[in-house]
Amino acid sequence: MSATVLAWARRELRTGLKGFGIFLACLVIGVGAIATVTSLKSGIDASLRDDGRAILGGDLEARLALRPASEAEIASMARLGTVSAIARARGMVEAANDRIGRVEVQAVDDTYPLYGELRLETGLALDDAIAEVDGRHGAVVAPSLLDQLDIAIGDTIALGEETLQVRDVIAFEPDAASQGLLAGARVIVSHAAFEETGLIQPGSLIYWHYRLRLSDGDASAAMTALNQANPEAGWRLRDYTEAAPQVQRVIDRLGVFMVLVGLTALLVGGLGVGNAVRAFIEGRLATIATLKCLGATGATIFALYLVQIGVLALLGVVAGLALGAILMIAGSGLLSGVLPLEISVGIYPGALTLAAVFGALTALAFSLWPLSLARQLKASTLFRAAVMPPGGRPRAADLVAIGAIAALLAGLAIATADRPDFAAWFVAGAIGAFVVFRLIAEGLIRLIKRLPRPRRPDLRLALSSLSRPGTPTPMILLSLGIGLTVLVAIALIEGNMSRQVDQVRPADAPDVFLIDIQRDQEQRLREIVAETPGVEDLVMVPSLRGQITAFNGIPARQAIVAPEEDWVISGDRGVTYEAQPALDRYTIIAGEWWPADYDGPPLISIYEDIARAFGAEIGDRLTVNILGRDIEAEIASIRDIEWQNGTVNFTMVFSPNPLAAAPHTSMATVRTTTQGDALFERAIYDAFPNVTTIRVRDILASVEELLGQLSAAIRVVAAVTLVAGTLVLGGAMAAGHKRRTYDAVIFKVLGAARWDVVRAFLVEYGLLGLLAAAIAAVIGTAAAWGVITFVMEADWYWLAWPIASTLAIALLITLTLGMVGTWRALGTKAAPLLRNE
Amino acid sequence: MGEASNAAGESIRLDDVHLEVASAAGRVNILRGIDLTVGTGERIAVVGPSGSGKSTMMMVIGGLEAPTSGAVTVAGHDLARMGEDALARFRRAHVGIVFQNFHLVPTMTALENVAVPLELARRGDAFEAAAAALESVGLGHRLSHYPAQLSGGEQQRCALARAFAPEPTIVLADEPTGNLDVETGEQIIALMFDLARRRGTTFVLITHDRSLARRCDRIVRLVDGRIIDADAPAETAADRAAAE
Repeated sequence: MSATVLAWARRELRTGLKGFGIFLACLVIGVGAIATVTSLKSGIDASLRDDGRAILGGDLEARLALRPASEAEIASMARLGTVSAIARARGMVEAANDRIGRVEVQAVDDTYPLYGELRLETGLALDDAIAEVDGRHGAVVAPSLLDQLDIAIGDTIALGEETLQVRDVIAFEPDAASQGLLAGARVIVSHAAFEETGLIQPGSLIYWHYRLRLSDGDASAAMTALNQANPEAGWRLRDYTEAAPQVQRVIDRLGVFMVLVGLTALLVGGLGVGNAVRAFIEGRLATIATLKCLGATGATIFALYLVQIGVLALLGVVAGLALGAILMIAGSGLLSGVLPLEISVGIYPGALTLAAVFGALTALAFSLWPLSLARQLKASTLFRAAVMPPGGRPRAADLVAIGAIAALLAGLAIATADRPDFAAWFVAGAIGAFVVFRLIAEGLIRLIKRLPRPRRPDLRLALSSLSRPGTPTPMILLSLGIGLTVLVAIALIEGNMSRQVDQVRPADAPDVFLIDIQRDQEQRLREIVAETPGVEDLVMVPSLRGQITAFNGIPARQAIVAPEEDWVISGDRGVTYEAQPALDRYTIIAGEWWPADYDGPPLISIYEDIARAFGAEIGDRLTVNILGRDIEAEIASIRDIEWQNGTVNFTMVFSPNPLAAAPHTSMATVRTTTQGDALFERAIYDAFPNVTTIRVRDILASVEELLGQLSAAIRVVAAVTLVAGTLVLGGAMAAGHKRRTYDAVIFKVLGAARWDVVRAFLVEYGLLGLLAAAIAAVIGTAAAWGVITFVMEADWYWLAWPIASTLAIALLITLTLGMVGTWRALGTKAAPLLRNE
Repeated sequence: MGEASNAAGESIRLDDVHLEVASAAGRVNILRGIDLTVGTGERIAVVGPSGSGKSTMMMVIGGLEAPTSGAVTVAGHDLARMGEDALARFRRAHVGIVFQNFHLVPTMTALENVAVPLELARRGDAFEAAAAALESVGLGHRLSHYPAQLSGGEQQRCALARAFAPEPTIVLADEPTGNLDVETGEQIIALMFDLARRRGTTFVLITHDRSLARRCDRIVRLVDGRIIDADAPAETAADRAAAE
């Protein structure tokens, strides 16, 4: 029998792919989306893995804030392999033309970089470019600095007390991804030049990075050895497997979102596949019934169409994989401009296999229902005037098979996700949405059946079409509803991301931050603020860095009780001391502030997340390593901090006495007008070349740019889902086209004008559209809220406009598609159809 | 699938067959106690007004519709005891059907259409036998044509070839000339009767055409789901010979 089935399938397929456009398009989009997303993720992971040493700059790195490593610490590192020391600091530079600019200085030794290659535009070697020539140190700079200062290679720039000659422009920096957002243009100099600048002052915010190329390559053993040898170093150690935690975090979050989008495209595509198969089967009803009359069993019919669907699905999957591979190459080119690393472009068999399996299972899951109904089509329908589409439910065995494949699909989605919890929520949400739309469709049909029939014939036709036996109402409501839900969710996510940009900067946030203010500069700074018009609200606080090393005497890592808050021990954090809060910016939620004249043992006020991390209560003891010294303090109060308001704040505030004597600088904030901004910046640079001013506006511009890129990515996604949604809708309409044509012909024969028929269909689809839109608004909002709150971890804003506009546009598309289909149906000549029927 | 006792010479036997269907307006009785016996090789015409149950009775005989009650024995098979797939295999082996609307598979050529039941019966010579069947209905030159490329009469001849090719013991025909012009219809009828006669096929013909009905051995008249006359005399043998 199988040979016969194959031969028949070949005969049917011989007539071409007509009517399978939507089937193939839906599958190609779904598989293409999954293949692109998983391939890109694989490429980025491969880059981070393969280039981890180059991105970190060594097999492992020890980072110290505020102080260089001691000789003993350097000696213990040197015993493990080659050591490369670099220092990173923020600063201001001034060109000979008096222009000033903010920079991120990196001082390097002659072993830099230990891994990877730093490329300069003219091809000079780095050592030569930054060497001292004729008493002048060289510097290589990011291209943006040349534009910013309007200078060229060969010109000089003043950094602190030293004048440097710009010798070349950085073309590629291998370890760029290991640092987060830069507040200025990169400038690379030698250690000798850095020392000459005078920027290295006690307490200056300088990070010292010591990178190791290990002799035996065992990074974790080396880290253990370093910690044992230097228990009080207070450094942050990390190896090449966690070279770019910030980039990794962005990628992970974006990856989760993109995978959800891929699954959505597949889900919507699956609906399109189901509709297309239903339309295909409807077109073959007479053939199926004929074959049954000729003695074909239900199993033969099922196998015949399963083979055909299988062949077409294979075609769609292969085309989807090809599309995914192409988009991966295009996408990696685009992302390389956004992410500070080069994505490994290639074919990732694992990613493509996963996409293929997803595609095949989706095609099968959504095709089985109509195929199963085809199996049950009664041959006796051939003796009736019209062969009606099979209705009802598939038989129990087929329902079990559909359930098993759907469960497999859900299991695969959850098992292969980086965040199975999100995937599980997605699956639950999708199932919930399907059930809701199905139940509401059935409720609607029952309700209409109970309603008295309206007198107007167009209304009567519309209502009877919605509730007639074999009505496509559930299918259209489901397709339309799921499509609209996705569009509403995407529009709300996009709207929320845009809103985040506006919310980044509250009205009372400071405009300028100043860092590295020496104690003997504080008084002069106050005077400059008082003298400069358009500058006010100076807040100045001591600024140190410290790393939590223990809680109640237990090493910090072991003392953590809330793993989701372990970021509090992952590196050094800002620390200050204060007798009395300078402003009423602290919200104390437990304990109380120390008296203004407190002079006893160290006390500390901590951010509530730190308290949560350790399960800390008032009176517990926290040990913080500051400048290589462990300071144990009793927790006196716990604070809540509104980070969004942009004011200076610290996770840890000490009572004054343990830190006041330690070498440190201060940081300050001021509010400025646009005019005061430029005057103030100039005045500060002239008075204190070592002090760096950071304009909040510039940081916001960077954040806006990043969010802008995210929004662009979301818009691309929106476009993909829009295409998929429209295809699904088109498929749903195509599935009902035969019935609509028949109705239109009969009405025309009975004397109905075109407009009468059009009005009936408009009422029918308008009702369906409005109902689907109302439900989609609710489910789509819930989905967007979940994505924004849990995936993006951002604040949620309910936005009416994106919902209203999306639904209006979608309804317009629905009605237009319905109109086009109806108009085509009205154009059908009555005679041939009536003769055949 | 029970093999019921097959009374000698009986091809079809319906005993007190009832068929009800549910509708929005309540249950509708389509067949109300049909008793009918058709001998092997006998040709009967089923006549009656529209809605009298003619097509339904034919569907019951072909195993396409299950009666609500009563016994149906066709070619020695008790259809009531057979499942959907067993009924399909039963049709494959014993029953050929000719429709008013031809119902050829549009994606298959004439040859492939006729080969379908032979392929289902796993006949190794399916295509040779199909070609011979088409040759016998005068379509030897149209083997590779698709239904859309054939005239109405040619399509019905192709359908006849398909119905007779597996050499069924019973052929059921539902208004086979309803969609054809008079002249073509005449040709088709002549061909159909000729095939049935040559092969000794039991033949059940539904028709509204009284002259056509008279060519059969017997006329069964249905009204409102009941047989009101199962032995209406058909034409004399002489008339019939003249007609054929």
